[in-house]
Amino acid sequence: MKRVLPGFGLSLGFTLAYLSLLILLPLSGLIFKASALTLDQFWAVATGERAMAAYRVTFGASLLAALINAFFGLVVAWILVRYPFPGKRLVDSLVDLPFALPTSVAGITLATLYAGNGWIGRHLEPLGLKVAFTPLGIVVALTFISLPFVVRTLQPVIEDIEPEVEEAAATLGASRWQTFVRVLLPGIFPALLTGFTLAFSRAVGEYGSVIFIAGNMPLISEITPLLIISKLEQYDVVGATALACVMLAISFAMLLAVNGLQWWAANRHHGKERVSI
Amino acid sequence: MSIEINGVGKRFGNFVALDNINLHIPTGELVALLGPSGCGKTTLLRIIAGMETADPGHVSFAGEEATHLHARDRNVGFVFQHYALFRHMSVFENVAFGLRVKARHERPSEAEIRRRVLDLLKLVQLDWLADRYPSQLSGGQRQRIALARALAVEPKVLLLDEPFGALDTKVRKELRRWLRRLHDEMHISSVFVTHDQEEALEVADRVVVMNHGRIEQIGTPDEVYSSPASPFVYQFLGNVNVFHSRLHGAWAEVGRDPSEAPAHDRSQAMAFVRPHDIDIEHAPIAGSIEATVQDVHAIGPLVRVELAHASELVEVELTRERANVLRLARGQAVWLKPRQIKVFNVLGVPLEEGGSGI
Repeated sequence: MKRVLPGFGLSLGFTLAYLSLLILLPLSGLIFKASALTLDQFWAVATGERAMAAYRVTFGASLLAALINAFFGLVVAWILVRYPFPGKRLVDSLVDLPFALPTSVAGITLATLYAGNGWIGRHLEPLGLKVAFTPLGIVVALTFISLPFVVRTLQPVIEDIEPEVEEAAATLGASRWQTFVRVLLPGIFPALLTGFTLAFSRAVGEYGSVIFIAGNMPLISEITPLLIISKLEQYDVVGATALACVMLAISFAMLLAVNGLQWWAANRHHGKERVSI
Repeated sequence: MSIEINGVGKRFGNFVALDNINLHIPTGELVALLGPSGCGKTTLLRIIAGMETADPGHVSFAGEEATHLHARDRNVGFVFQHYALFRHMSVFENVAFGLRVKARHERPSEAEIRRRVLDLLKLVQLDWLADRYPSQLSGGQRQRIALARALAVEPKVLLLDEPFGALDTKVRKELRRWLRRLHDEMHISSVFVTHDQEEALEVADRVVVMNHGRIEQIGTPDEVYSSPASPFVYQFLGNVNVFHSRLHGAWAEVGRDPSEAPAHDRSQAMAFVRPHDIDIEHAPIAGSIEATVQDVHAIGPLVRVELAHASELVEVELTRERANVLRLARGQAVWLKPRQIKVFNVLGVPLEEGGSGI
């Protein structure tokens, strides 16, 4: 078959070379470095007490942050799309701030705010709620940096909801709550799931903002990326790469899950004819 | 259930969408709200449905005040131009929705829901599509499902907003007839909005012609077509030739340049003649005016002739037989004679009926 667009060979070659250089080469270097360990050694490093605690903190805090954002991000996105109010554009651009702000700045700010003598921490500490330098602080930082993912994924989907669908539900006798749960939420749900997963992946990889507020106590508030750094600082390069490999595997699995979810969402209501994405 | 609309008005900012609308729709009648876009017909329908609230005025169902009743408590079925089906639900679940959201003590059992939904799907002849999703259906099928969904809650009133507007001509004609049959079987009051005069005249028991937020005329399809109450109705329903004329007592003089008459002369008038109410002759007869043939098109069973009279274009529709007898050719001089004519003065008040008063 003769192609309409010229240059397919050249552009495909370029794409492959570019992706190899940028992504595949460093990753295979990582795995190559880690392969200096035997399987037993690798397993010992990857499942050490400190490593396991770090996974728990990283994934636990990320999951919690993503869940919090799934709920409040939905509320924020809903309000930004549905209701006109003064200063709406300003609020809308504020959502992007965690994207734009250097994460270390976010970390320092949050740490100052929530520290025992900070503006917010001062009022929380008497209530017995210590935020800064505890795992709770990690959740706060991760919630902060992953908010835009949920809001920005949901906004276009909420904008797409036809008002007529809600009116139809109303004339059929549905209450506002029934309309939301039975008619609107199922439409939003795939996007909510995608936003949740994106926020979760982002939180798992976060380093900059967390280390300022976490306190970084081994076994308690130490995240995996920090553990990798500390291993590097002790010249335990192989140990660091072993942990990195574990993170890589998990991130990759999550990306696959996101794609799977999107595919499922796109095909759910089309019966037998499949849509490719 | 009868619908009573008293003095309803609606403004959107400075735009007057509806102005003092009074309308009575008796039980069992199929009424068309007909008018150009922006005339307020959809707003009126939405006020009946409870999706908009009237600024002044009252709406009552079967004599009971309903002006401030929420849409979900009005027991009306509403069909949208673009179907508004629930995309993530199968056809069955779409139709079942109205039954499933009922409060527990009025909700029918699962078996009863199933029976009723399948009955409705049979009624709209789509029971074989129960497991499909809306995205797998054609436009005509979607609209029939939307109708079945609206009927599931056994509404007393069925409201349809340009129900066939998004469909192609053939499907539209089919669904029109089908809607008429359905309405007669269900014994409900139906109101549908349309800008398509053919649709309104063919389906409705009564036609409400609207323009600029006001009702221009209410009548049977035959009444609004054959005796329009205003120049607007004349021009909106079917093709019409407009002659600017001067009045001489009971006679209207057509064919003089209207600019000769002084402005706002009370004797100035407009005469309306339907294209099929004009005869063409080769020789002058009493009351005929001279014109030149500009174009002849054969369209299906009719032949449409464009004639030039002074600076105005006159459209005439002849039967094929008549056209064959006349053998018209471009540039030919002929005489035309209206069989039926209606004259309105400058204020739009009708002056005389019928006759060949030219």
